Amino acid sequence: MGKTIVEKILAKASGKKEVSPGEYVEVRIKTYIQVSSDGGGTPMPETFVKFGWDKLWDPSKVVIVPDHCGSYTPLSYDATNNNRENHRRNSEWARNMGVPEENILDLGRVGNCHHMGIEEGWALPGSVYVHADTHSMTVGGVGCFGPCVTASMAALLRTGLTWFRVPESIKFNITGKLQDGVMGRDVYEYILGQIGPAGAIYQVMEYTGPVMDEMSMDGRLSMCCLSIFTGAKLGIVNPDQKIIDWFKARTNVPFEPQVSDLDARYIKTYNYDGAKIEPQVVVPPLRHTVQNISAVEGIKVTNAFIGSCASGRDEDMRIAARILKGHKVHPGVMFNITPGSSAAMMRSAQEGVIATLLEAGCFICAPGCGMCPGYYTPLTKNEVCITSSTTNYPGRMGDETAQVYLGSPATVAASALEGKITDPRKYL
Amino acid sequence: MALKFKGKAWIFGDNLDVDKDIIPFRKMNLGLITFDNLGDWCMTNVDPDFPRKVKKGDIMVVGKNMGCGHSHQQANKAIKQCGISCVIAESFDRNFFRNSIDIGLPIIEYPDIRKMVKEGDHLELDLHRGQIKNISTAKTLNFTPLPDFLLDILEAGDVESHVNKLIAEGKV
Repeated sequence: MGKTIVEKILAKASGKKEVSPGEYVEVRIKTYIQVSSDGGGTPMPETFVKFGWDKLWDPSKVVIVPDHCGSYTPLSYDATNNNRENHRRNSEWARNMGVPEENILDLGRVGNCHHMGIEEGWALPGSVYVHADTHSMTVGGVGCFGPCVTASMAALLRTGLTWFRVPESIKFNITGKLQDGVMGRDVYEYILGQIGPAGAIYQVMEYTGPVMDEMSMDGRLSMCCLSIFTGAKLGIVNPDQKIIDWFKARTNVPFEPQVSDLDARYIKTYNYDGAKIEPQVVVPPLRHTVQNISAVEGIKVTNAFIGSCASGRDEDMRIAARILKGHKVHPGVMFNITPGSSAAMMRSAQEGVIATLLEAGCFICAPGCGMCPGYYTPLTKNEVCITSSTTNYPGRMGDETAQVYLGSPATVAASALEGKITDPRKYL
Repeated sequence: MALKFKGKAWIFGDNLDVDKDIIPFRKMNLGLITFDNLGDWCMTNVDPDFPRKVKKGDIMVVGKNMGCGHSHQQANKAIKQCGISCVIAESFDRNFFRNSIDIGLPIIEYPDIRKMVKEGDHLELDLHRGQIKNISTAKTLNFTPLPDFLLDILEAGDVESHVNKLIAEGKV
């Protein structure tokens, strides 16, 4: 019996010949571990003091990254509780624990943590990668096993060890070819609409088929990033040559990509025709009310956002520029575009994409999580936002009365242009 | 060993989202909710009086996909802090499941639990034996206990205390 990509990665990481769904395995983490120095998770310095720990398992593999708030100005100017102070405190703790100076990053060299794993080659194909943040599963887009380990993080930094339950896998076979203006994002939301928010509980969503083969790395990362909203442990795509080339250009660390065997066992297989997928929009307040764009076209918006771990990649900014070129953002709309990382921002600047977006009247924000968790340019009372970020419950992006619609970066750009939810296909 | 609980059942539905239903995310972002007062906000978006009504030891009985959405351990801590001894759900979101173990919130997965328990029923739980006794209906339900190493973490109180036990025993 063949094995899935996830079963192969977990067997290798736990030093076993093979593993099967339902089994628990112990894994020693060998990849870099990022500590978000400004988010709201477990405060590492305090936790280490509380439990009497004075060392890390492997300081050379720890990286300190300010990402969730970054350059955001705190709500209060309380000198002991703001994001820069949190970053300073975490950096000082890391130095004292022996983390090398070059692993302690600051603004200008960073971005959203999950973009960073891909840009820096910390999340490698065939490896196990962990992060405290929900969307660590983004790295499934490059064939890396990246479940989030929120409350395990302190213990993991101390011991280098953690546990996983080997998940079952569901295969999603996407055939045909996507229409121009339909993105990876739409494919994921379409699947959510089909299987519902509890459609893949504790399971792996393995995306395969001709549509996935042709899809860019950016599109695959976006789909895997969102897989939590179907209850999945993570989403994953078998890595191909373009993924391997990406990492070969970025790291000297050796890696062994894994791919599913042809006779691997799946608990279920779903087949969808990619050509029939329309741009999808998630309607508030629930995360799983998914509609074809025709059902919501014309709804007025006051804000638009491209960014977060779910978008803000080269392809996302490129398609926004393609739609906005020669046009202006609607006067009633504030369009925030937050590149996922300094590296993506630089490539987009070199391509002329950033200039096109600025010319159209977009607000380009410092790389990071942007508007998604409600830090930068939070939504105010009764505003309506169309966004390609992660989620939409009341209060996620600011005031609890604001409404958040979710769509692809193409849909967001077309909607920002018209001031209402708009099908991007007419601009492409 | 321990991991035995007694309390009254509180019934909730499917797909409870950590930020939308279990704790109000925006208030956390604004600093109105901290790690110390999470319990006062537990489930208040669904039932504003819930933290005041719960008695220490009570048990949450929940539908499918419990704790879906983002992986925010504050939700698990809120439930633990407000006095709930254990959460029984028809299924758990994977991140909620893992965070519960790590912060020491006992959990039981039982597929048809809402058919077997009504709001207010008195329950007795034994996580080691894999037993749910409904005292109100005099019925006993059996489930497969969690593996020992996860029960060990729950017994230690949280994953950090468990690591300290392993350090003391020279195992890590």
